[in-house]
Amino acid sequence: MEALDFALGLFDILLVFLVLSLAWLVMSSEDLFRAIVLFVAFGLLMALVWVRLEAPDIALAEAAIGAGLTGALMMAALDRLSSVKPIQKVAASAQRKQLSLSSKVLPLIALVLIVLGLGYALLSLPEIADGLTPNVKENMAQSGVKNPVTAVLLNFRGYDTLLEMVVLLLALLSVWSLGGERKLSPRSTNPILGSLCRVLVPVLILVSCYLLWVGADAPGGAFQAGSVLGAAGVLLLLSGWHVEQKYLLWPLRFILILGSGVFIIMAAVLLLIQGGLLTYPVAQAGWMILLLESAATLSIGATLAALFLGGVPKSRVDQ
Amino acid sequence: MQMLYISLALFLLANLAVGMWRVLRGPGVADRMLAAQLFGTTAVAILLLLAEAAKSNALRDVALVFALLAAVTAVAFVKRAWSMPEARDID
Repeated sequence: MEALDFALGLFDILLVFLVLSLAWLVMSSEDLFRAIVLFVAFGLLMALVWVRLEAPDIALAEAAIGAGLTGALMMAALDRLSSVKPIQKVAASAQRKQLSLSSKVLPLIALVLIVLGLGYALLSLPEIADGLTPNVKENMAQSGVKNPVTAVLLNFRGYDTLLEMVVLLLALLSVWSLGGERKLSPRSTNPILGSLCRVLVPVLILVSCYLLWVGADAPGGAFQAGSVLGAAGVLLLLSGWHVEQKYLLWPLRFILILGSGVFIIMAAVLLLIQGGLLTYPVAQAGWMILLLESAATLSIGATLAALFLGGVPKSRVDQ
Repeated sequence: MQMLYISLALFLLANLAVGMWRVLRGPGVADRMLAAQLFGTTAVAILLLLAEAAKSNALRDVALVFALLAAVTAVAFVKRAWSMPEARDID
């Protein structure tokens, strides 16, 4: 047993060392592409850290969003940055010349103060604290699901998830208001990409449904399922998936607001009937949460794919 | 048996640390990207070993998501790098 603990200890130390050095390299990298690759690697290792901290739910979310989609999203952003790159380089070199002593010392003092404050806060925490775990355990029977994380996210603190859905929608709206119109890319003639899509997209959709369903009693749920669905969308966009203009107008907008919409309607109805925001009747809680999560999954998937496109989608064929 | 799984996971993590050299050195963008893909594959193997050691099915799901999404990142990269002439020159 002792040897096992030793091996796990070594694993943790190496992991912490790698995560910290990657974080430093991401921040200090001047080459933006290198920074993206390092950030993806950082996301992978963060997922391993969450696994070691026995938080598989967060590990799953980190794997889906941090290590998976963020890389593709950042790559798309870098693509569009290439037109403004020269300005950025000039600004960076000008900044370096102007760095005086006080502009180096002041951040250092601020950093030391933050570290001291955080350290104090951390050390003043009680050593053993149950937090809200007993509360959650007591009320699990009324939540309608078996996974405590899903119970907290969709039932006990459902309004958190409601607001998160609105945040995603706002992010997309700001991208659309800045990005202008984006034509879908032409159909790829690459046979490898075509066959990869044919194999991978159905699997991604299947895994997304699985994650949504399993969220009721194991790690999983709408955000993880939605980002896997979003990845399927990104793959289709990359391979030049043809969508007719008529589907890009109202059907797309309907799917984008479906998650927030169903959430708000459900909250309003429950407020009238039950007298509380998102307080489900115990017998119906299970399917209500499943309905909310399914709508949220579709919206998250569509939003992430639309974010990857980076503008109001427009069909290639002008009509 | 558990000891074997954990030692193998440790060995793979050490491999990952060595792989970081390639990400930092490059020289081409493809070298960096392939190193990141190697990270992804190694992380899947580590997760599966940890899942076996901890008897946890949730970790297998994490590995599954990793394996699927690594392919999407790779495609996004290839589409970008091979449409830009400057990226091809470096390789």
